[in-house]
Amino acid sequence: MTSLALVFIPIVVGLLLAIPRLRAHAVRALVGTALSLSTLALAGALLPSQELSLWGYARLDAMSRLFLALINPIFLGVSAYVASRVSATPALQRDLWRFAGLALTLIGAANAAVLGNHLLMQWLALEVTTLVAAPLIVRPGDGRSRLASWRYLLFSSVGLSLVLLGLLCLSRAMLAAGHEPTLFLDRLPELAAVAASPWGEPGLALLILGLGTKLGLAPMYTWLPEAYDEAPPAVTALLGAVQFNAVLVVLLRVIAVYRPGNARLITAELMLMGLASMVVSAISIIATRNMMRLIAYAAINHAGVIAIGLAVGKGTTYGLLLYVISNAFIKAILFLTAGKIKAHYRTEDTREISGLIEDLPYSGVFLLVGTLALLGFPPFGSFFGELSILSALVSSGQLFVFAAFCVLITTTFIATGRTFFPMVWGMPKQEHAWQKQTFLSASPKLAFLIVLVILGLYIPPALSGLLERVAASLEGEGS
Amino acid sequence: MNPLLIALLGALVIPLFVGTWRTSLLGLSAQGLLMAALVQRAAASLDTAHDWITLVDLALIRGVAMPLALYAVLKAQGARARNDVIPPNLFYWTLALAVGLAAFNFAERLVSEPGEPQTLVAVAVAGLLFGFLVLSGSLEPFSQMVGALRIENAIALLELSGHDHPALGLQLAMSAIFVATLGFFCWYLATLKEPAEESVESAPDSLSL
Repeated sequence: MTSLALVFIPIVVGLLLAIPRLRAHAVRALVGTALSLSTLALAGALLPSQELSLWGYARLDAMSRLFLALINPIFLGVSAYVASRVSATPALQRDLWRFAGLALTLIGAANAAVLGNHLLMQWLALEVTTLVAAPLIVRPGDGRSRLASWRYLLFSSVGLSLVLLGLLCLSRAMLAAGHEPTLFLDRLPELAAVAASPWGEPGLALLILGLGTKLGLAPMYTWLPEAYDEAPPAVTALLGAVQFNAVLVVLLRVIAVYRPGNARLITAELMLMGLASMVVSAISIIATRNMMRLIAYAAINHAGVIAIGLAVGKGTTYGLLLYVISNAFIKAILFLTAGKIKAHYRTEDTREISGLIEDLPYSGVFLLVGTLALLGFPPFGSFFGELSILSALVSSGQLFVFAAFCVLITTTFIATGRTFFPMVWGMPKQEHAWQKQTFLSASPKLAFLIVLVILGLYIPPALSGLLERVAASLEGEGS
Repeated sequence: MNPLLIALLGALVIPLFVGTWRTSLLGLSAQGLLMAALVQRAAASLDTAHDWITLVDLALIRGVAMPLALYAVLKAQGARARNDVIPPNLFYWTLALAVGLAAFNFAERLVSEPGEPQTLVAVAVAGLLFGFLVLSGSLEPFSQMVGALRIENAIALLELSGHDHPALGLQLAMSAIFVATLGFFCWYLATLKEPAEESVESAPDSLSL
C-alpha cells in the first residue's frame, strides 16, 4: 500500500491540477502532497518487511526505504521553498499549477524508479521523470532555457535508449544461454552470470553508460551544466537531488545484481567514467566564473566520486552511501541559495558578488556551510565518504587511481574555495536596497542544513541499520 | 538475404548522403514501414495483442505519424530544402562506410550462424551506429532529432530479433513514451530558435521559482 501511495498519489494530484477550477489550490496541493509523501516515506523507512507489491513490480526493501526517505523530504523542502517564493512574489502564482503538476508527476515517477523491482519498469519511470523535467527547465520567454531543455531531453533520450539497448542485450544473453528472459530484479541474481557472454558484456556496458549519462558522468555530461544553470533553482534542486538519486538507485540495483561474475567490466567502466568526470569538472571549475555552472560542475565531480566509490566496491559502500545522502542535501542547499543570490544581484558572475555575509546573511551562511560540505570538510558525510574511498583505493592497491583522485580533489578544493570564499567574506561591491530575507523564506534551506550537520555528527541507529543493510546488499552479502 | 532487410539497409544509408530534410523523413518513414512488414511476415496470423501493438507502433506511429508530424512543423516553418544530417565531406562518408562494415563484423560476433537473424542484427547495429554518427556531426535540432529517432528505430529492430515480449502494460507504456517523446520533438522543433533570434524578453530571475 505504501508503495502504491508513494507513486500514485502525487501523479493523480498532479493530473488534477490540469483542471482549471483546481489550479488556484496549486500551492496547497503541492505542499500538502509533499508532506504526506514525506510522512509515508519516513514511516516506510521504519518498516521491517520486504513487501512485494504491484504483481511483483515494486518492492520495499532496505535500499528503496533509504532512498524514499531521502528524496521525499527533499521534495518537501523544495515545495516549501516554492511556497515561500509564491507568498513573497504573488505574480508567480499564475503559472504555479504547471510547476506543481509536473513536479508532482516527477516525484511520483522517481518514487516508482526507486521502488521498482523490474528493470524495464524502472526505465519507464526514468523516462517519465525526463519527459516532465524537460518543460520544467523552460522559463517562459527565455530562449536559452528552451535550448538547455532541448539538450537535456536529447541527451536523456540517448542515455535512456542506451539503457534500453543494454536491457535488450541482457535479455538476449539469457535467451542465448537457454533461460527464459526476465528483468525482475529478485529473479535476476541466479541468471546474472550469463552477462559474461557476447550479448551480455556489451549489454551491461551500455546499461552502465546510459545510466552514467543520466547521472551527468563523462563522456556524455555536457547537458548538465547548461540545464542546471538555465533551469529555475527549484527545478535544478529537483534534478540534482531527486532525479539524480532515482537514477542512482537503478545503477545500484544493476551493480548489486551483476557485480558477481562481471566485477572487472563494472569496475573498469565506472572507474574510467568517474575519473574522466573528475578531470573535466576540475578543469571547468577552474575556468568558469559562473556561480550556477560552478555548482553544476561540482555536481559532476560528486557524480565522479560516487562512480569511483562504486567501482572500488567492498569497504567503501557505507561511507559512499553517507556521501550520497549528504550530497543530495548539499545540492539542494546550494542550488536554492544560488538562485536567491542570482535573483538579488541579477548576475551569476562570481566576480560581481561579494560580501554576502553582510548583504544576505542567510544566503551567506548557506553558501559557506554548503561549500564546506561540498569540499569534503569534516564533520560532513562527504568527508567520511571520500576518506573511505581513499582508504579502499590504498588497501586494494590502486595507487595510480589514489594519486589521481587526490590531485583532482585538491584541485577542485582550491578552485572552488578561491571563488566562493571571497563571495561570502569579501567587501560588498555595491549598495543594494532589497527587501529583508525572512526566516520563513530561509526555513527550507535551514532544515536541509540542520539535517546535513546532524548527519555529520550523529547517525541515528535506525538510519545506521538501514545503511548497513544497503551496504551489505551492494557488497553481495544479501539484502 | 531477405529483400526487406536489404531495403531497410537502403533506407538507413541513402538519407545519409542525400542532404534534404524530406529524404530524412522519408527514410524514417520507410524504416518504420519496413520493420512493420518484417513483423507481418514473421507473424502472419497476428494472433496476439503483442503483435498488434508492435505493428501499430511500427507502421502507424513510426512509419506514418512521426514523419508526418515533423513534416508539418518544417513545412509550416518554410524550412529550406537542404539539410545535411552528416557533414557532406569525404571524411564523414568514409566514416559511414566504415561504420556499416563494423556493424556487419560485430553482428558476426553476436550471432555466429550466418543467415537472416545475423543480417537482422547487423542492420540493427548499423542503424544504431549511423544514428550516433548523425548525432556526432549535428548541431541543428532537426538533425539531432533524426539521429535520436534513428537510434530508437534501431532498437525497435533489434527487439524484433528476440522472441520475448514485455508484459502488455509495459509494451503499451513504451509506445506511449515514444509518442510523448515525439510530441516534445515537434514542440522543440516548432519553438527552438537561437537565443540571439529570441524576440521575447526573458523573465527576470526574481520572477522564477
